[in-house]
Amino acid sequence: MWGLNLPVVLALAAIGGVLAWRRANTLVWLLYTGGALWAFFRFGFAVPIPQSVATIYLGITGLALVCYASSSRERLSETIQPIQRLILEPRYRLALAGLLVALPALAAYNVYADLTVPLEAPGFGREVHPPPPTEMTVHDETIDMATAENPYLHYKHDDPELYAEHLENGRRVYYENCFWCHGDGMGGDGMFAHGLNPVPSNFNDVGTLPILQSSFVQWRIAKGAPGLPASGTPWDSAMPAWEKFLTNEEMWDVNLFIYDFNGYEPRALGQH
Amino acid sequence: MTGHAMGRTPAAATLAAALLVALPASAQVDLGTEEQRAAGKVVYDKYCGQCHGDTGDGNGYATPRVRPKPRDFTTGKYKFRTTPNGMLPTDDDLRRIIEIGAPYTSMPGWPNLTSAEIQNVIYYIKSFSPDFENPDRYAEPIEIPRPLESTEESIARGRVLYEEQACGACHGEVGRGDGASAPTLVNDKGDPIRAADLTQRWTYRGGPTKEDIYRTFSTGLNGTPMPSYADSLEVEDRQHLVNYVYSLGDGDDPNYGTLITAVYSDEPIDLQDGESLDALFESAPMTRFPLVGQITEPGRNFFPPVTSIEAQAVYNRDEIAFRVRWHDLRADTSGRNNPNLEVPMWDEDNGIGGDAADDSGDSDDFFGDFGGEEVPAEDDFFGDSGDDFFGDGGDDFFGTAVAGAGGAEFSDAVALQFPASLAPTESPELKPYFLYGDAQNPVDLWFVNLTYGVADTFRGRGSDAIEPTEADIVEAVTSYDQGAWTVTYKRRRSSRAGVSFAEEQYTPVAFSVWDGFNRERGNKRALSSWFYVYTEPSVEQAVAGPVLRAALIVLVVELLVVFLVRRRARQKAADEQAEAASLTATEAPAV
Repeated sequence: MWGLNLPVVLALAAIGGVLAWRRANTLVWLLYTGGALWAFFRFGFAVPIPQSVATIYLGITGLALVCYASSSRERLSETIQPIQRLILEPRYRLALAGLLVALPALAAYNVYADLTVPLEAPGFGREVHPPPPTEMTVHDETIDMATAENPYLHYKHDDPELYAEHLENGRRVYYENCFWCHGDGMGGDGMFAHGLNPVPSNFNDVGTLPILQSSFVQWRIAKGAPGLPASGTPWDSAMPAWEKFLTNEEMWDVNLFIYDFNGYEPRALGQH
Repeated sequence: MTGHAMGRTPAAATLAAALLVALPASAQVDLGTEEQRAAGKVVYDKYCGQCHGDTGDGNGYATPRVRPKPRDFTTGKYKFRTTPNGMLPTDDDLRRIIEIGAPYTSMPGWPNLTSAEIQNVIYYIKSFSPDFENPDRYAEPIEIPRPLESTEESIARGRVLYEEQACGACHGEVGRGDGASAPTLVNDKGDPIRAADLTQRWTYRGGPTKEDIYRTFSTGLNGTPMPSYADSLEVEDRQHLVNYVYSLGDGDDPNYGTLITAVYSDEPIDLQDGESLDALFESAPMTRFPLVGQITEPGRNFFPPVTSIEAQAVYNRDEIAFRVRWHDLRADTSGRNNPNLEVPMWDEDNGIGGDAADDSGDSDDFFGDFGGEEVPAEDDFFGDSGDDFFGDGGDDFFGTAVAGAGGAEFSDAVALQFPASLAPTESPELKPYFLYGDAQNPVDLWFVNLTYGVADTFRGRGSDAIEPTEADIVEAVTSYDQGAWTVTYKRRRSSRAGVSFAEEQYTPVAFSVWDGFNRERGNKRALSSWFYVYTEPSVEQAVAGPVLRAALIVLVVELLVVFLVRRRARQKAADEQAEAASLTATEAPAV
């Protein structure tokens, strides 16, 4: 739920509840807050968040905790006194010895884990739907990206039979050319998808076709990877420039078909 | 679709009654109700017809460009069954394939379909073949026993059986799908078919488990050269054979990686000294990379037989060596090949169908004659291809050989691809276009035509702009052993024209493999996306030092804190004592 790893979040909240109930002292609360935030960032999300983001956030909250602890004389002494007692009072001698061993061991383990992390190929982000040009020319036809719509979409209401013909032609085009990557069911999981990086678009996804104008989809079909700006890492994408293989009508038809197959409508003009 | 009534209408009842009269005494004939079949047709038309054909004949839009071909449901022949050879599959057999698909074929799994939708589709699929009305074609599923433990004895016994039954004739001596008759295999429609590469279990069409393998041995794959061994081998022997075949596998999962780690060695890299070379690579980790068909640029390759390549690398002070290995059912070492060879449009799908319009007049004749149905094995086919090279020899070869067995014309080949220069530091993500580079960012290809076994270097500035270069000397040695090609490259680490391999550097690398048998050449190839090779530091990074240092620093800080706190407490106590003493001292006289 909400992209969270619920058991972890609930467990952290439960520990907080117990501390409140037992009226834990300031030091314990400070340790709990820091530890709980660390655990939340590390294990609390269903999809792991980038290490750098977590590090920055933990750094800021760490500073905030220090500020909080030293913000008044009372808080400071509440924070420090338990530590002093641990160090001074003979009855804590065993706990102190344990701590003296445990902290260096933890630091050593951290360094070890950092050094022996398995090597990974460097990864770079890319813009999935980069801004399109204002117009494009395909097979000598110039298309204004802001205003162009699928010329066959209106047949859906005006001439259902003709619409069905265009859809069938789009189906032919799709299954002669597209499904190797985008998949039979259009889940972006075709038989070649595992060998491609970036992975092919998933047309079932509500975050893809419905948020795009059909002119954008047409741009991506006609110009493919070579038409992408650098932010879309055109050098990695296997999307062909279909104008090399298909006519304008075939590309509009397959554009029509992928929307229809998934039960989506293109984003209307001027709709944000 | 699930909303359709499951109950029987009068029409369905009549049909069922008619069946009962005509075909008595078979509980297994279950063709569903008319409503169920109608509901199945809706699902079929949306998800299945594009490959299996709207009439179930296996001739959909995608058919010319996929291999193996989609099932022709009108034949009633099914490969993956729990029923004896030649019999019809059970509904559960059909359901299994619909749910999980057949790996490394164009048949995907359909996890989005509900159980009822799948059942309806099964009823509809069965209506394509009259066989399903014939109770004589039904049989009880075979029993699949619990697999035997893979003991040494069992595997050894399996090995004997593998040899006795001549499994190697198709699957190859060590199971790489390279048997002597592998290139000639066809199914009973005359379409070429490949013997499974038993070492790559993840590609088994029928599934990778011991139970799956046992099922295949015991039922055979109807319509293919894979027979059933139910009559020739006892249950236990089949189980031993399962264990042997299982032992040939490299694991259930291909474990595709993204990085080659090049390890440092002090030893010289001598390509001519096979033994020391093998010893060098022994220490280098091996990574498997997925290969897919090149279908972005003209000269598309829709069904590449080579689906992965393994790679490793070692380097010394001056040189770096790469070793790649992949499986191929035979060594095609008599033809020509280079990254520049043009592939006519009709040859994308081996002339089976489609795209003739883009081509010259002669290929129209060809398609007129064949109507996209038969695999061409006629002289016309190559005579008209306008390819001088072919000559008469080619005609003879194809006239007599099995369709699609085109090994003699094009040789096997492989290429490593590197960027001609590394990305600038301000945009480290920048790479050349992974399809032979682009005008701004060229690539270097280390190409080996396995007919000659030497490395040729090309510079690519796009698929239509590839030129030979002589800037760097790349050496190569090649070998083909029981279905596996191994190619080892060597080059100086530093280069003035191309990329240099500095220590601790990530260098993009991509692969191409051409299978001459599949008529692959030029742009028609299997390829990978960009991956990386990392040149590991030559001096091994010690772990113990930094770890001890970290522990020591923390310990010192701890001890310091403890010391300071205690000293302060002592001082405080001393002060208090002193104060108390001085108080006592000053007050004393008063007492």
